[in-house]
Amino acid sequence: MAATAKHALQEIAHDISGSRRAHALLQLTFSLDSTSGRTFLADSYQDAPLKVVRAFTLEDGTALAHLHNVSGGLLGGDRLAMQVNLTSGAKAQLTTTGATRIYRSCEGASATTQCNEASIAEDALLEYLPDATIPFAGARYLQRTSINLAARAGLFWWEILAPGREARGELFEYEEFATRISVSALGRRIAAENLCLRPRQENVSSLARLGPYPYAATFYICRLGLEAGVWRGAEDQLRELTAAMTRRGEILWGVSSLVAHGLIVRCLARNGREVLPGLQAIWRSAKRHLYDREAIPPRKVN
Amino acid sequence: MKPERESVTLTPSEELAHLRLLHLADSALPIGSLAHSFGLETLVSAELLQVGDLPEFLQGYLREAGMLEAVACRAAFRLVGAENREFDAARWVEINDCLSALKPARESRAASATLGRNFLQATLGLCDIPVLRGARGASFEFGSLIHQCTAFGLVSGALGLEETRAVLAYLHQISACLVSACQRLMPLGQTEATRILWNLKPAIVEVAADSASLTLETVSCTMPLLDWGAMEHPGLATRLFIS
Repeated sequence: MAATAKHALQEIAHDISGSRRAHALLQLTFSLDSTSGRTFLADSYQDAPLKVVRAFTLEDGTALAHLHNVSGGLLGGDRLAMQVNLTSGAKAQLTTTGATRIYRSCEGASATTQCNEASIAEDALLEYLPDATIPFAGARYLQRTSINLAARAGLFWWEILAPGREARGELFEYEEFATRISVSALGRRIAAENLCLRPRQENVSSLARLGPYPYAATFYICRLGLEAGVWRGAEDQLRELTAAMTRRGEILWGVSSLVAHGLIVRCLARNGREVLPGLQAIWRSAKRHLYDREAIPPRKVN
Repeated sequence: MKPERESVTLTPSEELAHLRLLHLADSALPIGSLAHSFGLETLVSAELLQVGDLPEFLQGYLREAGMLEAVACRAAFRLVGAENREFDAARWVEINDCLSALKPARESRAASATLGRNFLQATLGLCDIPVLRGARGASFEFGSLIHQCTAFGLVSGALGLEETRAVLAYLHQISACLVSACQRLMPLGQTEATRILWNLKPAIVEVAADSASLTLETVSCTMPLLDWGAMEHPGLATRLFIS
């Protein structure tokens, strides 16, 4: 087990503030069957409420797994860790079965914590395509994500943040949403984000933060082994798409090259309806450009 | 014949230190800091940011980007600020790499790196300090960028300036440059611009103080809208600024 996951488990063991709170690890290892060309779920360790029932094989040999939280959402004080390993040449797609709901934390309870770690070996590709995360009123959520890419490895990883339960008029009533993500390629950091929103303490709708757009999404697109010039071309190509999808006052899309080996896409939107379809359109375009293959949207009930 | 360089003492008098700090933090220092808007130009072009929004926007900017840069400035300062420690070139590269990764927009990242490189070069032209040459060499060797805030912190530490004063001066300098950019982008007159910068000073003091207890691992920076502005700046049809 890698150091970060070990650290997360130690934290879980240390910080259990209530015995009724979940402290769980989901560990998945995907490997390539070189004979069939298919990726399969070679090993898994699952603590409730985190669950993966099985992996399905997509038509291009990618393994698709649905991440379940059988408790229906994250509760205050939950300490969860997910570790995903892709061995050499494996291709895996992870998605959720619906939005991730972060429930209110009880007064005095510690924050909900999620620690994600992904290790992507040589020539492997991970596509992490979840639904939105919705922090409910009173929620406190801290997420830490570490992604490590080996030579020629690839990554499509997006995250969508909703302001709350918009349909019932609950906007920015959560206490805290903090997420830290670090993407490293061959041991060197190529992207990082330390985001923290505390709507009750600061104006999150300030133009210095989200502005008039309560929904936000970030999409990392990486592939090692391509020449540096490829990324400027990919950025220009995707900018044509994002410019066409941008409607000022409604939804904004931006794209930029990372320090190396990839792109980042940012989205800000007044409502969440167009965010996921937009991310999927960018994913399709980028996958064609970088892999000369079609993106296969994950099948799910909704 | 090369001009004779000043021999720098690492324990300058308080007055001399103060003057050097004023000089280094002057927006007239020829490093190109007035050529960048760091995404502001897109926000103005999109009619998102107007003159009336500036005081609140700039306060938020200081709390987010200002805080991150203040923390990085301190981290670089401390590489040479402590007494008689050997310069940790690997840590210097690590701090700059971390900051590069935390700057998602290519143009803003490149702008910060251009200003940092120019600042270090300008300082080396004024006083030849081995540790600054060493830092520049290490960044070149590892293919790492040198950011403006880290260069400012390192130079301030190497000159024996006081850490918090250096951070205050840096934050004031970037605020002044942003206000100056706004004057060229918006109907913002000299008097109002001066008032906005004057009123920002308490926020600068607050951010500088809060940054003392944070690290690059604990500081946050949440500016998705400005990130968008900086990402989309290359696509603007007409541009006054490089970033």
